[in-house]
Amino acid sequence: MPQMGVSVVEGTVIEWRKRLGDWVESDETIAEVSTDKIDTEIPSPAAGRVVEILVDVGTTVEVGVTLARIATDARPGEPHDAERDAPQAQVAAAPAQEPAAAASPPKAPAAPAQPPRNRRYSPVVQRIAREHDVDPNEVQGSGRDGRVSKRDVMAYVENQRLSAPAQNDPPLHIESPYRADPDPGTGDGPYVPPEGRPLSRMRQLIGQNMHRSQQTAATCTTWIEVDVSRIELARKQKNITAMPLIARCAIGALVEFPQLNAWLEDDIHTVHEQVNLGVAVTLGDDDGLIVPVVRSAQDLSPEGLARRIRELARRARARQLTPDEVQGATFTLTNPGQFGSIMATPVISQPQVAILDVEAITKRPVVVTDAFGADAIAIRPMVILGLSWDHRALDGALAARFLANIKQRVESYES
Amino acid sequence: MTEGRNPILTYLQAISDGLRSEMREDERVLLMGQDIGVFGGAFKVTDGFIEEFGVDRVMDTPLAESGIVGTAVGAAVVGMRPVCEMQFADFVSCGFDQIINVAAKMLYRQGLPVNITVRLPSGGGFSGGPFHSQNPEAWFMHSPGIKVVAPSTAQDAKGMIIASIRDPNPVVFMEHKNLYRRIKGEVPEGSYETPFKARVAREGSDLVVITYGAMVHRALEATEDLDDAEIMVLDLRTLKPLDEQAILAAVRTCSKVVIVDEANETCAAGAQVAALIAEHGFEDLDGPIVRVASPDVPIPFSPPLEEAVLPSVDRVREACRQLLEY
Repeated sequence: MPQMGVSVVEGTVIEWRKRLGDWVESDETIAEVSTDKIDTEIPSPAAGRVVEILVDVGTTVEVGVTLARIATDARPGEPHDAERDAPQAQVAAAPAQEPAAAASPPKAPAAPAQPPRNRRYSPVVQRIAREHDVDPNEVQGSGRDGRVSKRDVMAYVENQRLSAPAQNDPPLHIESPYRADPDPGTGDGPYVPPEGRPLSRMRQLIGQNMHRSQQTAATCTTWIEVDVSRIELARKQKNITAMPLIARCAIGALVEFPQLNAWLEDDIHTVHEQVNLGVAVTLGDDDGLIVPVVRSAQDLSPEGLARRIRELARRARARQLTPDEVQGATFTLTNPGQFGSIMATPVISQPQVAILDVEAITKRPVVVTDAFGADAIAIRPMVILGLSWDHRALDGALAARFLANIKQRVESYES
Repeated sequence: MTEGRNPILTYLQAISDGLRSEMREDERVLLMGQDIGVFGGAFKVTDGFIEEFGVDRVMDTPLAESGIVGTAVGAAVVGMRPVCEMQFADFVSCGFDQIINVAAKMLYRQGLPVNITVRLPSGGGFSGGPFHSQNPEAWFMHSPGIKVVAPSTAQDAKGMIIASIRDPNPVVFMEHKNLYRRIKGEVPEGSYETPFKARVAREGSDLVVITYGAMVHRALEATEDLDDAEIMVLDLRTLKPLDEQAILAAVRTCSKVVIVDEANETCAAGAQVAALIAEHGFEDLDGPIVRVASPDVPIPFSPPLEEAVLPSVDRVREACRQLLEY
């Protein structure tokens, strides 16, 4: 079990990509492993034949435990037990080779689904493939010597889009709303619920962590209403979302009130100077959420934060985060307001002592005072910021002062 | 600028028209050069000017390019707007020091803008031989303080000569001799300025040919009907400063780039365009940046040799086809 991050101590095998007897290339994925932070693929440390699998799927072992054995003196191309019936031609086609000493052993014919294609791609093809999460190896090339052109990869992306199940297309026919009256006899029968399924691993982990927090922390939530007119203006100028701008204000307040940029583990209170900002990223209703961390966020401009958050969210959704990228947060920001909700009581991510919830920006009538002291009603973009904080680490007055500090920063924002 | 009612002028007539209209509007504008007065210029760009504006504003000078530019710099410093004609662009080398070391650096050293325009009849394609066929625009692109413009159409030629005269700093105006009487077009009457920006000569999305001057017409001809591909032609119009936004936008759209220079290949304007794309357009590229230019040899006098040296319609077409297939 490899060391996948400084604090990871154990991992659970969730899938073996190679069977006993399979040939595996060096750095080719041999297994998939889940830690309490993240799921990740394990590259094979050497080329050879898998001769022993020591840890079964579902078993959790400590870092350093041997997962499998690979015979590096095996010859590629020899069929293993499961393949005795394979056509003889394949065996004959494999060139004789010195075991292990070979600099680059040929791909095993055991994996015909991935023929050796040492192809190069132009910068634009790589970019489009990355943006659309497409493997360029899958794309049929029409250029010279089968080269994949921009046109090829764009056609591939378009085809995938078309063949994906259409979600917004109207139905071809509208069903009649007529329904026969229910048989009066069935209403009294026992309710038969559909069959239940076990929660996904991600859901289980989130549930454990949230439940632990509820049992550990003395959570209170304090709200403040903030006028975001200046943020809205700056957002348009910088062509970014409001989130990184509000995050920037919150980071400023954290530097001023470091007691909230802290961990509480049992009775040990650790106050951080460096702001490692956790940003909750949803992976979709079925897949849960993950909280990648922007390290040293106090040194980043709003644009820098926006870029960093975007990049982390992209990597999160592409399942590319490393364990180190999702730990060490000193404070968390969550932003479910994009769906229009206006208030929440977020759960603190342990061992942090607070979490800030940014809800939907909505236009509301508010009382404003002009330069002459006269009051008037104006339409202003407003947002409610909710701070869940741990009463073991701090008191309500500090939470309120912290929120007021964010409010003051947001309402006097100068880009 | 009513469509359809404007006169049709040649490229040469359009330059004359621009000069004339600016001289009528602005008394500070004066012309200097060999045989531009009584004789009307070697190519007759200033034919009839001496009769209209007199010997003080249309000055026949000795055959001394350094003296022409140097005098013009002095006149500009005291508030005039001189336009110098080099009889052939090739001979600007004799006036090089005044342009590079005096005119281009005056603003930097003394804070004095030098409002001169140097007209360079340039380019080959008519058996002019090595002294009468060169495209020396890159010499000036390399020197800070000088703008370099090179229109390809009659309408742009007029608008850009006016813009050059009005620009407060030195402008080198490349006018292609081979376009003088071959290119005609509708030219708006009266005074107008063409901005120092690139122009899309033809829209397209499969490949872009980036070029300027006479090669714009060659590129249009070479790619007019090329294997059903939609080929963009970008006319740079101004070489210094390069319209970087327009170039990168074209690369973003097309991802395949052919750059055509009539000038000798090494360090030509197209080399700078290629460098710009390699640095800032890398992620948009779907193939190597391809250049078509004159090889690094003097332009031959012999017609078949000259034809072999200058980028031909066939060479441009073949380069595009190879890159399309890549």
